[in-house]
Amino acid sequence: MMRPRWRKVLSDLIGNLGRSLLVVLSIAVGLFAIGILITNHRVIAEDMVTGYRAVNPANIMLVTTPFDDDLVERVKSVKGVRDALGVHKISLRVQTVHGDWIPMDFNAIPDMGTQAINRVHLLEGTWPPEDKEVVVEQSKLSEIGVGLGDWITVELPSGKTRRLHFVGIVKDLTLGAAAGGGGFFLAAPQGYITPATLPWLDQNEAWNTLYVTVEEGNDEAAIRQVAQRVRREVEAQGVLILSSAVRTSENHPNRIYVDAVVGVLFVLGALVVFLSGFLITNTLNALLAQQMVQIGVMKLIGARRWQVAGIYQVLILTYGVLALLLALPLSARFSYVLLDYLANRINLQLQGFRVVPLAILVQVVLALAVPQGAALLPILHGVRVRIHEVISGIRPSEAVQTPHWIERLQKRFRGLPRPLLISLRNTFRRTQRLILTLITLTLGGAIFIATFNTQAAIERYIQQLSRYFLADVNLTFEAPQRIQRVKNDLAQVPGVGHVEGWAYTRADLMGEGDQVLDTVQLIGVPIETTLVTPILREGRWLQAGDRNVLVVNERFRATLPNLHVGDTLHLRINGSERDWVVVGFLQLAGQNLGHLAYVPYDELSRQLGQSGRGLLFRVAADRANLTLAEQEDLARRVDAYLKGRGYNISEARAGLSVLEKTAKGLDVLTNFLLILSGLAAIVGSIGLAGTMSLNVMERTREIGIMRAIGASDGTIRLLVIVEGVLIGLMSWILASLAAFPISRLLSNVISHAIFNAPALFAYTPTGFLAWLGVVLVLSVIASLLPARTAVRLTIREVLAYE
Amino acid sequence: MLNPSLSNSAPVSAATPSPIISLRGVKKAYHTPAGDFWALHGIDLEVYPGEFLGIIGKSGAGKTTLLNMISGIDALTEGEVLVNGVRVHDLDEDRLALWRGRTLGVITQNFLLMPTLTLLENVLLPMDFCGLWQGRKSVERARELLRQVELEEHIHKLPSAISGGQQQRVAIARALANDPPILLADEPTGRLDSGTAEGILHIFERLVAAGKTILMVTHDLSLERRFSRVVWIADGRLVADRQAALG
Repeated sequence: MMRPRWRKVLSDLIGNLGRSLLVVLSIAVGLFAIGILITNHRVIAEDMVTGYRAVNPANIMLVTTPFDDDLVERVKSVKGVRDALGVHKISLRVQTVHGDWIPMDFNAIPDMGTQAINRVHLLEGTWPPEDKEVVVEQSKLSEIGVGLGDWITVELPSGKTRRLHFVGIVKDLTLGAAAGGGGFFLAAPQGYITPATLPWLDQNEAWNTLYVTVEEGNDEAAIRQVAQRVRREVEAQGVLILSSAVRTSENHPNRIYVDAVVGVLFVLGALVVFLSGFLITNTLNALLAQQMVQIGVMKLIGARRWQVAGIYQVLILTYGVLALLLALPLSARFSYVLLDYLANRINLQLQGFRVVPLAILVQVVLALAVPQGAALLPILHGVRVRIHEVISGIRPSEAVQTPHWIERLQKRFRGLPRPLLISLRNTFRRTQRLILTLITLTLGGAIFIATFNTQAAIERYIQQLSRYFLADVNLTFEAPQRIQRVKNDLAQVPGVGHVEGWAYTRADLMGEGDQVLDTVQLIGVPIETTLVTPILREGRWLQAGDRNVLVVNERFRATLPNLHVGDTLHLRINGSERDWVVVGFLQLAGQNLGHLAYVPYDELSRQLGQSGRGLLFRVAADRANLTLAEQEDLARRVDAYLKGRGYNISEARAGLSVLEKTAKGLDVLTNFLLILSGLAAIVGSIGLAGTMSLNVMERTREIGIMRAIGASDGTIRLLVIVEGVLIGLMSWILASLAAFPISRLLSNVISHAIFNAPALFAYTPTGFLAWLGVVLVLSVIASLLPARTAVRLTIREVLAYE
Repeated sequence: MLNPSLSNSAPVSAATPSPIISLRGVKKAYHTPAGDFWALHGIDLEVYPGEFLGIIGKSGAGKTTLLNMISGIDALTEGEVLVNGVRVHDLDEDRLALWRGRTLGVITQNFLLMPTLTLLENVLLPMDFCGLWQGRKSVERARELLRQVELEEHIHKLPSAISGGQQQRVAIARALANDPPILLADEPTGRLDSGTAEGILHIFERLVAAGKTILMVTHDLSLERRFSRVVWIADGRLVADRQAALG
């Protein structure tokens, strides 16, 4: 037979199922949250690196004029090169299921079955494709809208169309890795074809993109040195390099989003550990406060302190184990739901479900050691309890006085309702407990509000980004067009208002010696442009009289940390090098977009030999605030009209849709934070509900006494609710204050990862109000439920209650 | 109420063995914001084995404080308490708990049973803590004790499922669990109707007959005749001590 003391543990556990459930849930919810945060933190950071490394990504990417296999073989023998691969990349327009034409990148790769560099993962269908077949990368497939087995119509430069059989879906982790491509989110849909398909698409079979892996693929400096040698070899063969990029084998193109996510998870993880610790301490304090009489009785009948302590340590250990059993599988499962969500959106390849030892270790420590630690003081306090005080119910050692301010309040406002005064006194009579409760609720609330604020900050920033996309239609031509002619033609399209022609090119950003640091996208805008109002962080925007000046985006800060306004950049455009002076720093949608700079149109077009011509056109409608559908309609009409006039258009896209695409990475973070704020709400709510309920449970006896002396059920309910709401409101005020530094911290973590600068700050009333709602509703429910149970008991039962 | 003709000292016969409980100059003060409150003013009392001692007094007279001094659950301010030859207040907390569990059975007005344990488990608990009976022997003993208080049919019930009188009988069985020589009962019939209270007193009388020493606190004057000896307490002082008429 089980010893009676352990029977007590068991019967305490089962006999008060409601309370046990609350305690277990209070512990479990913290474990659950921390399990998710750590699992996500570890898996996402590890899988990004291992997943990316596993596809053997190119360390050097050169976009060039056509070359053949001879050059590939020569590059393979360059010192430091491990492997090289020539690929033919072309951008052709394809028709979406809605009938629109959008650009799609086709990659013609030799020996696709044994592709050694930039390997793809087959998700569905067949790999490699046969001739005249295409395999499509999954992350952008929805933009085309076709299904596996369908035919994709491709428009050739001549205007003819071809139909490719869509036979497979793959995941390509290197998407967005190429320089000057705008990163993953701005990348066009990707198709993979055999080199033999190229002539059928009116393309020559020569390669125009060189992928190189190097021996020391994790050392960026070493890669740059090898890149330098490769460039020399390529150029020595008379091949012109149009753009180049280097990247380590562990530097996933969406690394900044992973960094942001990992940073957020780290901050929240640390906060949740604290929250969980306080929640556990608070819950166990309340639990032991309820057990004081029983502790006194056990000591009365012969129990020594270590025996009493042992009973509660085992009870708490049991709560911890139960919470652990609940939290471990749930957190592991939910972690992977969240990871799947992230992996799909930021193009990660998860390495499969696995147990994260650190997550389990922290959960075990939190479940077993923290409750023991948290309960140590209450247990020590409990075992030292004076028997005669607890069994008589008179405890001068814990005698508390009504705070003076409540007495003053009572004197000043004589009309204050009696229940309110009693509730006020009850709330403040155990200051220590109140402080612990408030810390727990404050931390839960502050995390919730802070995640909301951070999310709002990103959303607000996405709205601000529209200042770069004021045009209703963004047009990209296959080749530069005379601006005046295009303007005249567009004037014939109903609904078109203002039109601007912009110049565009890619340039090499030169470092010391002859070293190419990276590719820069240069956008030449008219000085008087009305279609861009940049978000300037430093310096100024372009102005009349400017010549070789540029306003650069946030990515430059990462590449050149010491770059300041007034400094000179050395750029190589079409083989000729010139100095450009940085006059301002602007902020766009993050470092992922690559190096991008706005320059005066006149200067860039002159250097390109394209004066009076533009590659990009920005079209504003003749009325403001068009919806996305209206912009798309205008884009379709502009596209059709210009095609009819013989123009070759690469893309005609609604401004809002470009904004949406540009901000998609930030959107992922917004949604991720929304999920985390839900998690914070669950932790905070259960903490709130548990604390309130235990507070009321503790006073079951007092409720019985009040009923015995004539208090109606309604009065008791009112007292309990007022007290619950008072605590809830106090915690809300404190949470609102604490949310400010936490919001700032979270925003900073994201800002630094995305923009390399502290850029995002916003406070939205939504989080504050939402938490106020949660606090009020939960305070009432969590106080009312145990109070309802208490008033249902007969007075005799209640007075006998322990 | 008081009988001034009675002496304050214990009229013990010459044949009486040495006392099982001795209180010498016991004083107890409580420190309150209004100043020290003296609950006991130098109590001298000797209790002999086999006595059924009634401690009678009004509410607030110091009856419970006196019992607490004997059981050691409250600290002395001054004086000395010897129980079974042990200086109670010299023991540290753990030794005191073990000593109390083995030497004294304490019964209170509000029963103080463990609400989540069955009657059998409630009786087993002191044996578990003090280690005098273990395993099957402890279960057999607990069953026997519950049989003696006529609750053998209810041993697997929780305290909330039985009446107040039955709960008090369980408390007696629990107090007897470690077979202590002394029982301290603080208003054990205070919350019971007269019929039930009578049953409890019968049990006590049987226990005294079996050799137990019982100290029972009450404010019920009508019980005076049931004790073998009665001491009267008022304002923290023993004001009378006499052998009961039927004692």
